Amino acid sequence: MKPSHRTLALFVVMTALIALPWWSGDLYKLHLAALICAYWVLIGGLNLVVGYSGQLSIGHVGLLAIGSYCFAVLAGTHGVHPALAIAASGALCALCGLLLGLPSLRLPGFYFAMATLAFALIVTEITLAQGALTGGGVGLSVPGFPPPFDTPRGTYWLILSIAVLVTWLTWNVARHTWGRGLVAVRDSVVTAQAVGVPVFRAKLTVFVFSGFTAGVAGALFAVLQSYITPDTFVFDLGLFFFVCIIIGGRGHILGPALGTIVLTALPEMVAPLAKLGNFFYGLLLLAVVLLVPEGIGRVFELLVERFRPRRGESHVVKPDLDRLAKAIEQGRSAR
Amino acid sequence: MSLSARDITKRFGGLTALSKVSLELRPGEVHGLIGPNGSGKTTLLNLLSGYYRPDGGMIAIDDNDISNATVQKRAGFGVARTFQKPRLLPTLSVLDNAMLGGWRDARAGFLSTAFCLPQVKADELALRSRAEELLHGVGLSHAINRRANLLEHAEQRFLEIARGLAQRPRFILLDEPAGGLTPAEIEHLGAVIRVMCESGVGVLLVEHHTDFVFRISDRVTTLDVGAVIKHGTPDEVKRDPEVIRVYLGA
Repeated sequence: MKPSHRTLALFVVMTALIALPWWSGDLYKLHLAALICAYWVLIGGLNLVVGYSGQLSIGHVGLLAIGSYCFAVLAGTHGVHPALAIAASGALCALCGLLLGLPSLRLPGFYFAMATLAFALIVTEITLAQGALTGGGVGLSVPGFPPPFDTPRGTYWLILSIAVLVTWLTWNVARHTWGRGLVAVRDSVVTAQAVGVPVFRAKLTVFVFSGFTAGVAGALFAVLQSYITPDTFVFDLGLFFFVCIIIGGRGHILGPALGTIVLTALPEMVAPLAKLGNFFYGLLLLAVVLLVPEGIGRVFELLVERFRPRRGESHVVKPDLDRLAKAIEQGRSAR
Repeated sequence: MSLSARDITKRFGGLTALSKVSLELRPGEVHGLIGPNGSGKTTLLNLLSGYYRPDGGMIAIDDNDISNATVQKRAGFGVARTFQKPRLLPTLSVLDNAMLGGWRDARAGFLSTAFCLPQVKADELALRSRAEELLHGVGLSHAINRRANLLEHAEQRFLEIARGLAQRPRFILLDEPAGGLTPAEIEHLGAVIRVMCESGVGVLLVEHHTDFVFRISDRVTTLDVGAVIKHGTPDEVKRDPEVIRVYLGA
Protein backbone atom coordinates (compact mmCIF):
# COMPACT_ATOMS: atom_id res chain seq x y z
CA MET A 1 0.00 0.00 0.00
CA LYS A 2 1.21 3.48 -0.83
CA PRO A 3 1.64 5.82 2.15
CA SER A 4 -1.11 8.12 0.85
CA HIS A 5 -3.51 5.17 0.61
CA ARG A 6 -2.55 4.11 4.08
CA THR A 7 -3.25 7.57 5.49
CA LEU A 8 -6.62 7.55 3.76
CA ALA A 9 -7.49 4.06 5.11
CA LEU A 10 -6.42 5.12 8.59
CA PHE A 11 -8.56 8.23 8.37
CA VAL A 12 -11.64 6.29 7.24
CA VAL A 13 -11.24 3.65 9.95
CA MET A 14 -10.68 6.24 12.67
CA THR A 15 -13.74 8.23 11.58
CA ALA A 16 -15.85 5.07 11.55
CA LEU A 17 -14.63 4.12 15.03
CA ILE A 18 -15.24 7.55 16.52
CA ALA A 19 -18.69 7.75 14.89
CA LEU A 20 -19.57 4.21 16.02
CA PRO A 21 -22.13 5.34 18.65
CA TRP A 22 -24.25 6.80 15.83
CA TRP A 23 -24.18 3.89 13.42
CA SER A 24 -23.93 0.89 15.77
CA GLY A 25 -27.70 0.98 16.35
CA ASP A 26 -28.14 -0.20 19.92
CA LEU A 27 -26.40 0.20 23.24
CA TYR A 28 -25.46 -3.45 23.43
CA LYS A 29 -23.33 -3.20 20.31
CA LEU A 30 -21.69 -0.10 21.70
CA HIS A 31 -20.91 -1.99 24.89
CA LEU A 32 -19.47 -4.80 22.80
CA ALA A 33 -17.26 -2.35 20.90
CA ALA A 34 -16.01 -0.91 24.19
CA LEU A 35 -15.30 -4.44 25.44
CA ILE A 36 -13.30 -5.21 22.29
CA CYS A 37 -11.26 -2.04 22.85
CA ALA A 38 -10.62 -2.99 26.49
CA TYR A 39 -9.52 -6.48 25.42
CA TRP A 40 -7.28 -4.93 22.79
CA VAL A 41 -5.52 -2.78 25.38
CA LEU A 42 -4.36 -6.06 26.97
CA ILE A 43 -3.88 -8.01 23.74
CA GLY A 44 -1.97 -5.15 22.12
CA GLY A 45 0.61 -5.27 24.90
CA LEU A 46 0.58 -9.06 25.02
CA ASN A 47 1.18 -9.06 21.27
CA LEU A 48 4.71 -7.72 21.84
CA VAL A 49 5.35 -10.65 24.19
CA VAL A 50 3.68 -13.45 22.18
CA GLY A 51 3.71 -12.17 18.61
CA TYR A 52 7.07 -10.42 18.58
CA SER A 53 9.37 -11.88 21.22
CA GLY A 54 7.71 -15.31 20.94
CA GLN A 55 7.14 -15.90 24.67
CA LEU A 56 3.97 -17.96 25.07
CA SER A 57 2.16 -16.34 27.97
CA ILE A 58 -1.27 -17.86 28.52
CA GLY A 59 -1.72 -16.37 32.00
CA HIS A 60 -2.39 -12.71 31.30
CA VAL A 61 -5.92 -13.19 32.62
CA GLY A 62 -4.23 -13.20 36.05
CA LEU A 63 -2.84 -9.73 35.41
CA LEU A 64 -6.22 -8.62 34.07
CA ALA A 65 -7.83 -9.78 37.34
CA ILE A 66 -5.27 -7.94 39.45
CA GLY A 67 -5.89 -4.77 37.45
CA SER A 68 -9.64 -5.11 37.81
CA TYR A 69 -9.54 -5.70 41.56
CA CYS A 70 -7.02 -2.92 42.07
CA PHE A 71 -9.33 -0.49 40.29
CA ALA A 72 -12.44 -1.74 42.11
CA VAL A 73 -10.78 -1.52 45.52
CA LEU A 74 -9.16 1.88 44.95
CA ALA A 75 -11.96 3.64 43.06
CA GLY A 76 -14.83 1.80 44.77
CA THR A 77 -13.88 1.02 48.35
CA HIS A 78 -11.46 3.89 48.91
CA GLY A 79 -12.95 6.50 46.59
CA VAL A 80 -9.70 7.28 44.75
CA HIS A 81 -10.15 9.27 41.54
CA PRO A 82 -10.70 6.77 38.68
CA ALA A 83 -7.94 8.25 36.50
CA LEU A 84 -5.47 7.72 39.32
CA ALA A 85 -6.90 4.25 39.97
CA ILE A 86 -6.38 3.26 36.31
CA ALA A 87 -2.75 4.38 36.47
CA ALA A 88 -2.29 2.53 39.76
CA SER A 89 -3.76 -0.65 38.24
CA GLY A 90 -1.27 -0.39 35.39
CA ALA A 91 1.64 0.24 37.73
CA LEU A 92 0.71 -2.63 40.07
CA CYS A 93 0.42 -5.05 37.14
CA ALA A 94 3.70 -3.85 35.68
CA LEU A 95 5.27 -4.71 39.04
CA CYS A 96 3.53 -8.10 39.05
CA GLY A 97 4.80 -8.64 35.51
CA LEU A 98 8.32 -7.88 36.69
CA LEU A 99 8.05 -10.28 39.63
CA LEU A 100 6.55 -13.01 37.45
CA GLY A 101 8.95 -12.41 34.55
CA LEU A 102 12.17 -12.30 36.58
CA PRO A 103 12.22 -16.02 37.41
CA SER A 104 10.09 -17.40 34.57
CA LEU A 105 11.39 -15.67 31.43
CA ARG A 106 14.62 -17.65 31.68
CA LEU A 107 12.64 -20.87 31.23
CA PRO A 108 12.36 -22.45 27.79
CA GLY A 109 9.05 -21.86 25.95
CA PHE A 110 6.84 -24.64 27.25
CA TYR A 111 7.85 -24.17 30.90
CA PHE A 112 7.34 -20.44 30.66
CA ALA A 113 3.78 -21.06 29.45
CA MET A 114 3.23 -23.35 32.44
CA ALA A 115 4.57 -20.72 34.83
CA THR A 116 2.11 -18.14 33.50
CA LEU A 117 -0.69 -20.71 33.72
CA ALA A 118 0.18 -21.35 37.36
CA PHE A 119 0.24 -17.62 38.01
CA ALA A 120 -3.29 -17.19 36.62
CA LEU A 121 -4.59 -20.05 38.77
CA ILE A 122 -2.95 -18.65 41.89
CA VAL A 123 -4.45 -15.20 41.32
CA THR A 124 -7.95 -16.70 41.13
CA GLU A 125 -7.39 -18.53 44.42
CA ILE A 126 -6.05 -15.41 46.11
CA THR A 127 -9.06 -13.33 45.04
CA LEU A 128 -11.27 -16.01 46.59
CA ALA A 129 -9.25 -16.29 49.78
CA GLN A 130 -8.73 -12.58 50.48
CA GLY A 131 -12.43 -11.93 51.05
CA ALA A 132 -11.91 -8.83 53.19
CA LEU A 133 -10.25 -7.05 50.27
CA THR A 134 -11.91 -8.58 47.22
CA GLY A 135 -15.32 -9.63 48.49
CA GLY A 136 -14.38 -13.26 47.99
CA GLY A 137 -16.87 -15.29 45.99
CA VAL A 138 -19.49 -12.55 46.34
CA GLY A 139 -17.36 -10.07 44.45
CA LEU A 140 -17.18 -6.30 44.27
CA SER A 141 -19.20 -3.70 42.50
CA VAL A 142 -17.19 -1.32 40.35
CA PRO A 143 -17.88 2.42 40.05
CA GLY A 144 -18.16 3.99 36.61
CA PHE A 145 -16.03 6.78 35.18
CA PRO A 146 -16.71 10.37 36.25
CA PRO A 147 -18.39 12.79 33.81
CA PRO A 148 -18.05 13.32 30.90
CA PHE A 149 -17.20 9.63 30.56
CA ASP A 150 -20.15 8.33 32.58
CA THR A 151 -22.46 7.77 29.58
CA PRO A 152 -22.14 4.67 27.37
CA ARG A 153 -20.77 6.92 24.61
CA GLY A 154 -18.31 8.65 26.91
CA THR A 155 -17.09 5.33 28.27
CA TYR A 156 -16.65 3.98 24.74
CA TRP A 157 -14.69 7.03 23.60
CA LEU A 158 -12.42 6.93 26.60
CA ILE A 159 -11.64 3.24 26.15
CA LEU A 160 -11.27 3.67 22.40
CA SER A 161 -8.72 6.44 22.85
CA ILE A 162 -6.68 4.31 25.26
CA ALA A 163 -6.85 1.41 22.77
CA VAL A 164 -5.64 3.68 19.96
CA LEU A 165 -2.82 4.92 22.19
CA VAL A 166 -1.72 1.34 22.93
CA THR A 167 -1.86 0.50 19.22
CA TRP A 168 0.36 3.47 18.45
CA LEU A 169 2.86 2.58 21.19
CA THR A 170 3.19 -1.05 20.11
CA TRP A 171 3.38 -0.07 16.46
CA ASN A 172 6.26 2.28 17.25
CA VAL A 173 8.09 -0.48 19.08
CA ALA A 174 7.42 -3.02 16.33
CA ARG A 175 8.68 -1.02 13.36
CA HIS A 176 11.94 0.22 14.84
CA THR A 177 15.14 -1.34 16.17
CA TRP A 178 13.36 -2.75 19.19
CA GLY A 179 10.91 -4.65 17.00
CA ARG A 180 13.72 -6.23 15.01
CA GLY A 181 15.48 -7.22 18.22
CA LEU A 182 12.31 -8.86 19.55
CA VAL A 183 11.74 -10.79 16.34
CA ALA A 184 15.35 -11.95 16.55
CA VAL A 185 14.69 -13.21 20.09
CA ARG A 186 11.70 -15.11 18.71
CA ASP A 187 13.19 -16.53 15.51
CA SER A 188 16.87 -17.00 16.34
CA VAL A 189 18.30 -16.41 19.78
CA VAL A 190 21.87 -16.97 18.56
CA THR A 191 21.43 -14.18 16.01
CA ALA A 192 19.99 -11.89 18.65
CA GLN A 193 23.05 -12.55 20.83
CA ALA A 194 25.46 -12.12 17.94
CA VAL A 195 24.25 -8.60 17.18
CA GLY A 196 24.19 -7.69 20.88
CA VAL A 197 20.51 -7.92 21.87
CA PRO A 198 20.35 -8.52 25.65
CA VAL A 199 17.88 -11.38 25.25
CA PHE A 200 16.60 -11.69 28.81
CA ARG A 201 16.33 -7.96 29.39
CA ALA A 202 14.45 -7.45 26.11
CA LYS A 203 11.97 -10.18 27.04
CA LEU A 204 11.54 -8.76 30.52
CA THR A 205 11.02 -5.21 29.23
CA VAL A 206 8.15 -6.13 26.92
CA PHE A 207 6.70 -8.42 29.57
CA VAL A 208 6.58 -5.58 32.10
CA PHE A 209 5.06 -3.33 29.43
CA SER A 210 2.41 -5.98 28.72
CA GLY A 211 1.79 -6.12 32.48
CA PHE A 212 1.11 -2.39 32.49
CA THR A 213 -1.35 -2.56 29.60
CA ALA A 214 -3.01 -5.63 31.17
CA GLY A 215 -3.52 -3.65 34.38
CA VAL A 216 -5.04 -0.72 32.53
CA ALA A 217 -7.20 -3.14 30.54
CA GLY A 218 -8.28 -4.72 33.81
CA ALA A 219 -9.53 -1.38 35.12
CA LEU A 220 -11.44 -0.65 31.90
CA PHE A 221 -12.80 -4.19 31.80
CA ALA A 222 -14.00 -3.91 35.41
CA VAL A 223 -15.92 -0.72 34.63
CA LEU A 224 -17.60 -2.39 31.66
CA GLN A 225 -18.53 -5.40 33.79
CA SER A 226 -19.71 -3.08 36.63
CA TYR A 227 -19.50 -6.07 38.98
CA ILE A 228 -16.58 -8.49 39.28
CA THR A 229 -16.22 -11.87 40.95
CA PRO A 230 -13.44 -14.45 40.66
CA ASP A 231 -15.62 -16.20 38.06
CA THR A 232 -15.30 -13.17 35.76
CA PHE A 233 -11.67 -14.13 35.23
CA VAL A 234 -11.96 -17.73 34.10
CA PHE A 235 -8.86 -19.28 32.63
CA ASP A 236 -10.61 -19.52 29.23
CA LEU A 237 -10.23 -15.77 28.98
CA GLY A 238 -6.42 -16.09 29.16
CA LEU A 239 -6.48 -18.65 26.37
CA PHE A 240 -8.80 -16.35 24.40
CA PHE A 241 -6.23 -13.51 24.50
CA PHE A 242 -3.53 -15.89 23.35
CA VAL A 243 -5.67 -17.33 20.55
CA CYS A 244 -6.56 -13.84 19.25
CA ILE A 245 -2.86 -13.26 18.61
CA ILE A 246 -2.21 -16.65 17.03
CA ILE A 247 -5.24 -16.32 14.73
CA GLY A 248 -4.28 -12.74 13.90
CA GLY A 249 -0.71 -13.70 13.10
CA ARG A 250 2.59 -13.40 14.93
CA GLY A 251 4.72 -10.37 14.22
CA HIS A 252 1.79 -8.24 13.11
CA ILE A 253 -0.21 -5.46 14.78
CA LEU A 254 -3.31 -5.31 12.63
CA GLY A 255 -3.77 -9.07 12.47
CA PRO A 256 -4.23 -9.62 16.22
CA ALA A 257 -6.49 -6.52 16.36
CA LEU A 258 -8.60 -8.13 13.66
CA GLY A 259 -8.46 -11.42 15.57
CA THR A 260 -9.74 -9.71 18.71
CA ILE A 261 -12.64 -8.11 16.83
CA VAL A 262 -13.60 -11.29 15.00
CA LEU A 263 -13.37 -13.58 18.03
CA THR A 264 -15.30 -11.21 20.30
CA ALA A 265 -17.92 -9.94 17.90
CA LEU A 266 -18.74 -12.91 15.69
CA PRO A 267 -20.25 -15.16 18.38
CA GLU A 268 -22.32 -12.22 19.62
CA MET A 269 -23.51 -10.98 16.26
CA VAL A 270 -24.27 -14.29 14.61
CA ALA A 271 -26.69 -16.14 16.87
CA PRO A 272 -26.03 -19.66 15.57
CA LEU A 273 -22.32 -19.23 16.32
CA ALA A 274 -23.06 -18.29 19.94
CA LYS A 275 -24.63 -21.69 20.44
CA LEU A 276 -21.45 -23.32 19.29
CA GLY A 277 -19.46 -21.46 21.93
CA ASN A 278 -15.95 -22.84 22.34
CA PHE A 279 -16.54 -25.11 19.37
CA PHE A 280 -16.47 -22.03 17.16
CA TYR A 281 -13.15 -20.86 18.62
CA GLY A 282 -11.70 -24.32 18.21
CA LEU A 283 -12.83 -24.60 14.63
CA LEU A 284 -11.51 -21.16 13.71
CA LEU A 285 -8.19 -21.85 15.41
CA LEU A 286 -7.86 -25.17 13.60
CA ALA A 287 -8.72 -23.61 10.25
CA VAL A 288 -6.19 -20.80 10.70
CA VAL A 289 -3.38 -23.00 11.98
CA LEU A 290 -3.86 -25.49 9.13
CA LEU A 291 -4.65 -23.12 6.26
CA VAL A 292 -2.90 -19.81 7.06
CA PRO A 293 -0.42 -20.46 9.89
CA GLU A 294 0.85 -16.91 9.36
CA GLY A 295 -2.50 -15.59 10.61
CA ILE A 296 -5.45 -13.80 9.07
CA GLY A 297 -3.52 -10.53 9.10
CA ARG A 298 -1.25 -11.90 6.38
CA VAL A 299 -3.87 -13.58 4.16
CA PHE A 300 -3.96 -10.68 1.73
CA GLU A 301 -0.18 -10.31 1.68
CA LEU A 302 0.28 -14.05 1.05
CA LEU A 303 -2.24 -14.07 -1.79
CA VAL A 304 -0.42 -11.19 -3.46
CA GLU A 305 2.90 -12.97 -3.00
CA ARG A 306 1.46 -16.16 -4.45
CA PHE A 307 -0.03 -14.74 -7.61
CA ARG A 308 2.63 -12.20 -8.45
CA PRO A 309 4.74 -13.39 -11.36
CA ARG A 310 8.12 -14.57 -10.14
CA ARG A 311 9.77 -14.96 -13.50
CA GLY A 312 12.47 -12.51 -14.25
CA GLU A 313 13.14 -11.86 -10.58
CA SER A 314 16.87 -11.73 -10.23
CA HIS A 315 18.77 -13.70 -7.62
CA VAL A 316 22.24 -12.82 -8.88
CA VAL A 317 24.60 -11.38 -6.31
CA LYS A 318 26.80 -8.68 -7.84
CA PRO A 319 28.96 -6.86 -5.31
CA ASP A 320 29.80 -3.21 -5.78
CA LEU A 321 33.23 -3.22 -4.16
CA ASP A 322 33.90 0.53 -4.12
CA ARG A 323 30.59 1.17 -2.42
CA LEU A 324 31.29 -1.63 0.04
CA ALA A 325 34.71 -0.23 0.94
CA LYS A 326 33.23 3.21 1.46
CA ALA A 327 30.41 1.88 3.65
CA ILE A 328 32.79 -0.14 5.83
CA GLU A 329 35.24 2.73 6.24
CA GLN A 330 32.45 5.13 7.12
CA GLY A 331 31.26 2.78 9.85
CA ARG A 332 34.75 2.31 11.23
CA SER A 333 35.59 5.99 11.29
CA ALA A 334 32.47 6.64 13.38
CA ARG A 335 33.70 4.18 15.99
CA MET B 1 44.71 -4.48 18.58
CA SER B 2 44.14 -8.17 18.04
CA LEU B 3 41.69 -10.91 18.94
CA SER B 4 43.47 -13.97 20.17
CA ALA B 5 42.97 -17.44 21.56
CA ARG B 6 45.80 -18.42 23.91
CA ASP B 7 46.38 -22.08 24.80
CA ILE B 8 42.68 -22.75 24.60
CA THR B 9 41.38 -26.10 25.83
CA LYS B 10 37.74 -27.08 25.44
CA ARG B 11 36.15 -30.35 26.57
CA PHE B 12 32.68 -31.71 25.96
CA GLY B 13 32.20 -34.39 28.61
CA GLY B 14 35.04 -36.85 28.07
CA LEU B 15 35.89 -35.54 24.61
CA THR B 16 38.64 -32.97 24.26
CA ALA B 17 37.56 -30.84 21.30
CA LEU B 18 40.52 -28.45 21.48
CA SER B 19 43.75 -28.76 23.39
CA LYS B 20 46.12 -25.84 23.85
CA VAL B 21 45.18 -24.10 20.64
CA SER B 22 46.49 -20.60 19.97
CA LEU B 23 45.50 -18.26 17.19
CA GLU B 24 45.88 -14.53 16.69
CA LEU B 25 43.59 -12.51 14.44
CA ARG B 26 44.94 -9.07 13.51
CA PRO B 27 43.04 -6.18 11.95
CA GLY B 28 43.40 -5.90 8.20
CA GLU B 29 44.31 -9.50 7.58
CA VAL B 30 42.50 -12.60 6.41
CA HIS B 31 43.28 -15.53 8.64
CA GLY B 32 42.26 -18.91 7.21
CA LEU B 33 41.34 -21.73 9.58
CA ILE B 34 41.25 -25.13 7.94
CA GLY B 35 41.18 -28.75 8.99
CA PRO B 36 39.27 -32.00 8.51
CA ASN B 37 35.71 -32.42 9.77
CA GLY B 38 35.60 -32.57 13.54
CA SER B 39 39.00 -30.95 13.96
CA GLY B 40 37.50 -28.19 16.11
CA LYS B 41 37.25 -25.23 13.72
CA THR B 42 33.69 -24.24 14.57
CA THR B 43 34.34 -24.91 18.27
CA LEU B 44 37.18 -22.40 18.16
CA LEU B 45 34.96 -19.88 16.39
CA ASN B 46 32.29 -20.35 19.04
CA LEU B 47 34.89 -19.77 21.74
CA LEU B 48 36.10 -16.58 20.06
CA SER B 49 32.58 -15.22 19.64
CA GLY B 50 31.53 -16.18 23.15
CA TYR B 51 29.01 -19.00 22.67
CA TYR B 52 31.33 -21.37 24.59
CA ARG B 53 33.53 -20.82 27.64
CA PRO B 54 37.04 -22.28 27.53
CA ASP B 55 38.12 -24.95 30.03
CA GLY B 56 41.68 -23.71 29.90
CA GLY B 57 43.60 -20.79 28.40
CA MET B 58 42.04 -17.47 27.54
CA ILE B 59 40.40 -15.42 24.83
CA ALA B 60 41.81 -11.92 24.72
CA ILE B 61 41.49 -8.62 22.91
CA ASP B 62 45.02 -7.21 23.09
CA ASP B 63 45.88 -8.24 26.62
CA ASN B 64 42.40 -7.97 28.10
CA ASP B 65 40.94 -11.32 29.10
CA ILE B 66 37.43 -11.60 27.65
CA SER B 67 37.01 -15.36 28.20
CA ASN B 68 33.94 -14.83 30.35
CA ALA B 69 32.38 -11.96 28.42
CA THR B 70 28.96 -12.75 26.95
CA VAL B 71 28.35 -12.89 23.21
CA GLN B 72 26.63 -9.51 23.46
CA LYS B 73 29.62 -7.92 25.25
CA ARG B 74 31.93 -9.21 22.55
CA ALA B 75 29.67 -7.68 19.92
CA GLY B 76 30.32 -4.45 21.81
CA PHE B 77 34.09 -5.04 21.58
CA GLY B 78 33.68 -5.26 17.82
CA VAL B 79 33.46 -9.01 17.21
CA ALA B 80 30.87 -10.02 14.59
CA ARG B 81 30.20 -13.41 13.06
CA THR B 82 28.20 -15.33 10.49
CA PHE B 83 26.83 -18.85 10.81
CA GLN B 84 27.48 -22.08 8.97
CA LYS B 85 23.77 -22.32 8.23
CA PRO B 86 22.56 -18.74 7.64
CA ARG B 87 20.45 -17.53 10.55
CA LEU B 88 18.18 -14.82 9.23
CA LEU B 89 14.80 -13.55 10.34
CA PRO B 90 12.61 -15.06 7.62
CA THR B 91 9.58 -12.80 8.12
CA LEU B 92 11.52 -9.54 7.93
CA SER B 93 12.79 -7.80 4.82
CA VAL B 94 16.40 -8.00 3.69
CA LEU B 95 16.85 -4.38 4.76
CA ASP B 96 15.45 -5.08 8.25
CA ASN B 97 17.76 -8.07 8.58
CA ALA B 98 20.77 -5.92 7.76
CA MET B 99 19.56 -3.14 10.06
CA LEU B 100 19.36 -5.62 12.93
CA GLY B 101 23.16 -5.56 12.86
CA GLY B 102 22.98 -1.94 14.02
CA TRP B 103 21.17 -2.82 17.27
CA ARG B 104 24.03 -1.62 19.45
CA ASP B 105 24.18 1.75 17.73
CA ALA B 106 20.52 2.56 18.36
CA ARG B 107 20.48 5.00 21.27
CA ALA B 108 16.72 5.07 21.93
CA GLY B 109 15.45 2.91 24.79
CA PHE B 110 12.18 1.02 24.92
CA LEU B 111 10.03 3.88 26.16
CA SER B 112 11.54 6.48 23.84
CA THR B 113 10.83 4.04 21.01
CA ALA B 114 7.25 3.49 22.16
CA PHE B 115 6.63 7.24 22.19
CA CYS B 116 8.58 7.71 18.96
CA LEU B 117 10.83 10.47 20.34
CA PRO B 118 13.12 12.27 17.85
CA GLN B 119 16.10 10.08 18.79
CA VAL B 120 14.26 7.08 17.31
CA LYS B 121 13.94 8.71 13.90
CA ALA B 122 17.59 9.73 13.99
CA ASP B 123 18.70 6.18 14.86
CA GLU B 124 16.48 4.77 12.17
CA LEU B 125 17.78 7.06 9.43
CA ALA B 126 21.41 6.39 10.29
CA LEU B 127 20.95 2.63 10.48
CA ARG B 128 18.93 2.53 7.29
CA SER B 129 21.44 4.41 5.18
CA ARG B 130 24.32 2.31 6.54
CA ALA B 131 22.44 -0.94 5.89
CA GLU B 132 21.44 0.14 2.39
CA GLU B 133 25.00 1.06 1.46
CA LEU B 134 26.27 -2.30 2.73
CA LEU B 135 23.54 -4.21 0.88
CA HIS B 136 24.40 -2.44 -2.38
CA GLY B 137 28.03 -3.13 -1.57
CA VAL B 138 27.72 -6.90 -1.07
CA GLY B 139 25.53 -7.15 -4.16
CA LEU B 140 21.98 -7.38 -2.87
CA SER B 141 20.63 -4.21 -4.53
CA HIS B 142 17.99 -6.28 -6.30
CA ALA B 143 16.59 -7.76 -3.09
CA ILE B 144 16.59 -4.94 -0.54
CA ASN B 145 12.85 -4.94 0.04
CA ARG B 146 12.27 -8.66 -0.39
CA ARG B 147 11.30 -10.84 2.53
CA ALA B 148 14.31 -12.83 3.67
CA ASN B 149 12.52 -16.18 3.28
CA LEU B 150 12.38 -15.58 -0.48
CA LEU B 151 16.16 -15.41 -0.81
CA GLU B 152 18.26 -18.08 -2.42
CA HIS B 153 21.14 -19.64 -0.58
CA ALA B 154 23.90 -17.40 -1.89
CA GLU B 155 21.86 -14.28 -1.19
CA GLN B 156 21.36 -15.46 2.39
CA ARG B 157 25.11 -15.85 2.84
CA PHE B 158 25.83 -12.34 1.57
CA LEU B 159 23.02 -10.92 3.71
CA GLU B 160 24.60 -12.47 6.79
CA ILE B 161 27.86 -10.75 5.88
CA ALA B 162 26.03 -7.44 5.43
CA ARG B 163 24.40 -7.86 8.84
CA GLY B 164 27.79 -8.60 10.39
CA LEU B 165 29.30 -5.52 8.73
CA ALA B 166 26.38 -3.38 9.93
CA GLN B 167 27.78 -4.07 13.41
CA ARG B 168 30.82 -2.02 12.33
CA PRO B 169 33.10 -4.81 13.53
CA ARG B 170 36.82 -4.79 14.17
CA PHE B 171 36.82 -8.54 13.60
CA ILE B 172 34.43 -10.68 11.63
CA LEU B 173 34.37 -14.45 11.96
CA LEU B 174 32.99 -16.24 8.91
CA ASP B 175 31.88 -19.83 9.42
CA GLU B 176 32.16 -21.64 6.05
CA PRO B 177 30.91 -18.69 3.99
CA ALA B 178 31.63 -20.44 0.68
CA GLY B 179 29.53 -23.50 1.52
CA GLY B 180 26.98 -24.12 -1.21
CA LEU B 181 28.14 -21.28 -3.46
CA THR B 182 28.87 -21.59 -7.17
CA PRO B 183 32.42 -20.83 -8.41
CA ALA B 184 31.28 -17.41 -9.65
CA GLU B 185 29.73 -16.61 -6.27
CA ILE B 186 32.90 -17.76 -4.50
CA GLU B 187 34.82 -15.25 -6.63
CA HIS B 188 32.47 -12.50 -5.45
CA LEU B 189 32.84 -13.68 -1.86
CA GLY B 190 36.63 -13.55 -2.17
CA ALA B 191 36.45 -10.00 -3.49
CA VAL B 192 34.14 -8.96 -0.65
CA ILE B 193 36.48 -10.51 1.92
CA ARG B 194 39.51 -8.73 0.43
CA VAL B 195 37.63 -5.41 0.63
CA MET B 196 36.77 -6.05 4.27
CA CYS B 197 40.37 -6.67 5.23
CA GLU B 198 41.70 -3.77 3.15
CA SER B 199 39.29 -1.56 5.07
CA GLY B 200 40.96 -2.70 8.27
CA VAL B 201 38.66 -5.46 9.47
CA GLY B 202 40.27 -8.66 10.73
CA VAL B 203 38.65 -11.63 8.98
CA LEU B 204 38.72 -15.17 10.35
CA LEU B 205 37.80 -17.55 7.56
CA VAL B 206 36.73 -21.04 8.59
CA GLU B 207 36.44 -22.97 5.35
CA HIS B 208 36.63 -26.31 3.58
CA HIS B 209 37.49 -24.95 0.14
CA THR B 210 41.27 -25.05 0.70
CA ASP B 211 42.09 -23.57 -2.71
CA PHE B 212 39.94 -20.59 -1.87
CA VAL B 213 41.51 -20.19 1.58
CA PHE B 214 45.07 -20.40 0.30
CA ARG B 215 44.28 -17.89 -2.43
CA ILE B 216 42.87 -15.10 -0.29
CA SER B 217 44.37 -15.62 3.18
CA ASP B 218 47.37 -13.78 4.57
CA ARG B 219 47.99 -16.49 7.13
CA VAL B 220 46.57 -19.96 7.63
CA THR B 221 46.17 -22.15 10.70
CA THR B 222 45.54 -25.87 10.27
CA LEU B 223 43.81 -27.90 12.95
CA ASP B 224 43.65 -31.65 13.34
CA VAL B 225 41.85 -33.47 16.16
CA GLY B 226 41.76 -30.37 18.31
CA ALA B 227 45.39 -29.28 17.94
CA VAL B 228 47.28 -26.88 15.67
CA ILE B 229 49.46 -28.84 13.27
CA LYS B 230 50.73 -25.95 11.19
CA HIS B 231 50.55 -22.21 11.20
CA GLY B 232 52.03 -19.83 8.65
CA THR B 233 51.67 -18.22 5.23
CA PRO B 234 49.57 -20.10 2.66
CA ASP B 235 52.71 -21.30 0.87
CA GLU B 236 54.30 -22.65 4.03
CA VAL B 237 51.13 -24.46 5.05
CA LYS B 238 50.51 -25.84 1.57
CA ARG B 239 53.95 -27.49 1.53
CA ASP B 240 53.92 -28.82 5.06
CA PRO B 241 54.18 -32.62 4.93
CA GLU B 242 51.97 -33.09 8.01
CA VAL B 243 49.19 -30.91 6.54
CA ILE B 244 49.40 -32.83 3.26
CA ARG B 245 49.24 -36.15 5.12
CA VAL B 246 46.19 -35.44 7.32
CA TYR B 247 44.20 -33.06 5.17
CA LEU B 248 45.21 -32.18 1.66
CA GLY B 249 46.15 -35.66 0.54
CA ALA B 250 49.05 -36.50 -1.74
